[in-house]
Amino acid sequence: MRDIIEGPPEPETPPRPLHRRLAWFVVLALGGMAATGAVAYALRALLGLE
Amino acid sequence: MEFDALVLSRIQFAFTIAFHIIFPSFTIGLASYLAVLEGLWLLTRNETFKTLYLFWVKVFALSFGMGVVSGVVMSYQLGTNWSVFSAVAGPVIGPLFAFEVLAAFFLEASFLGVMLFGWKKVGPGLHFASTVLVAFGTLTSAFWIISANSWMQSPSGFAGTVEEGLVAVNWLQVIFSPTFPERLAHMVLAAYLTTALVVAAASAFRLLKDASETESAMALKMSIGMLAIVAPLQLLAGDLSGKDVREHQPAKLAAIEAFWETRTEQPFHIAAWPDRELEGNHWELSIPKIGSWITGGSVETEIQGLDAFAPEDRPPVFIVFWAFRLMVGLGLAMIALGFWGAWTIWRGSTARNQAFLRACVAMGPTGFVAVISGWIVAEVGRQPYVIYGVLRTEDAVSPIGAGAVSASLLAFLVVYAIVFSVGALYILRLLAEGPVAGAHEAPPSQDRPPGWALGAAPEDPGPPDKEDR
Repeated sequence: MRDIIEGPPEPETPPRPLHRRLAWFVVLALGGMAATGAVAYALRALLGLE
Repeated sequence: MEFDALVLSRIQFAFTIAFHIIFPSFTIGLASYLAVLEGLWLLTRNETFKTLYLFWVKVFALSFGMGVVSGVVMSYQLGTNWSVFSAVAGPVIGPLFAFEVLAAFFLEASFLGVMLFGWKKVGPGLHFASTVLVAFGTLTSAFWIISANSWMQSPSGFAGTVEEGLVAVNWLQVIFSPTFPERLAHMVLAAYLTTALVVAAASAFRLLKDASETESAMALKMSIGMLAIVAPLQLLAGDLSGKDVREHQPAKLAAIEAFWETRTEQPFHIAAWPDRELEGNHWELSIPKIGSWITGGSVETEIQGLDAFAPEDRPPVFIVFWAFRLMVGLGLAMIALGFWGAWTIWRGSTARNQAFLRACVAMGPTGFVAVISGWIVAEVGRQPYVIYGVLRTEDAVSPIGAGAVSASLLAFLVVYAIVFSVGALYILRLLAEGPVAGAHEAPPSQDRPPGWALGAAPEDPGPPDKEDR
């Protein structure tokens, strides 16, 4: 857990370009949504529902 | 009592929801707490707030995960065990659950990924926006779930009958049913109290070991502030919710207060032993006349007793009466703890007051107990109806056999015992470790190949210079 959760950038680190930050924002948001959907559908399959 | 499909389905739903409600009642408050911590870090750049954030976000992620798994099971049960309820009320209540999933649940799930894995990748501004969106998502989730439950308590804005099915004729009245605002306030405040008590307990536990731990001292003070303000407000919200119960569910109020006779000058029962067979209390410890004043605003107000309802329309009295007293008793203890904590802050002795710190640790789980007690009051008090005054619980169950429900109930008991025990133990272990400054910072890099057997050993400084010999 310690290595997975990301802390804030170091104060002296220059910020990444805005388009890269926005791209990561979208990718991580969609990834979170997909992961939740996968859990829901896995449970649905486990319960034998169509 | 015969353990048929109805009773077993009720036991299964009660068991699974009692487990599930633990997690959202904690994560609703914790998400807001995380947003406050990150906001304060952005404003002040005080490292204490960052360390606290990085500690509590781990607990949040685990609790959120367990809340998702236990919550998905809840909605499936509406189809497997309560299909008649779903068929009759689905056109009205189904969209409320759908909005919960679409508008709230996916909001939380989407931006949780950014919260956990993206601080460096998206930068501080977008990360803070994600944290706020997750906190907003948890509150929106509470909005829709309490809206659906409030409609079951005081249904409005619908037409039709149980036989032909119910349809919504006024969505605003469905969403904002008469008891909804007070019940939403009561639930959200309960969630904030639950979180404050857990944060206070974990922080106090650390301070009992090391009173100089800055992060735990800060977290404890923040929790005390929340308790001191929110616990008294919760008393007011609960009172307003109780007035709603009197107006819309008088049989539930009579069960809560163990009033058997309709009359003015009802007593307030501090403790009693209600008995449905006896249609009275075996014994009672009461204050005369105060019951009418508390529930109706005047000792001359006539309050309906259970004698105003046919025996088959009365909720179970004993469990509702005592669950209510447990909830209120714990609520009063929370108010006392908040004021005690405020006193220690004023005296400047919070982190060193051993008695107060031990009281905080002892009170840690009481938020969960109070939430489950309140849920029992709300749900058991609504019996024998699943939709109050419209659909009886016995008419809402699926046409399934007791054997099938027994098997699923047994499976739930076993799986939950394993999964949630492991999860809860892991969270408790995390809490015991406490927030550690610099825990997330990368270790200093060493210019050595990975997997080298002596990779962790200090680097050889080389042969000493001639001057050192």
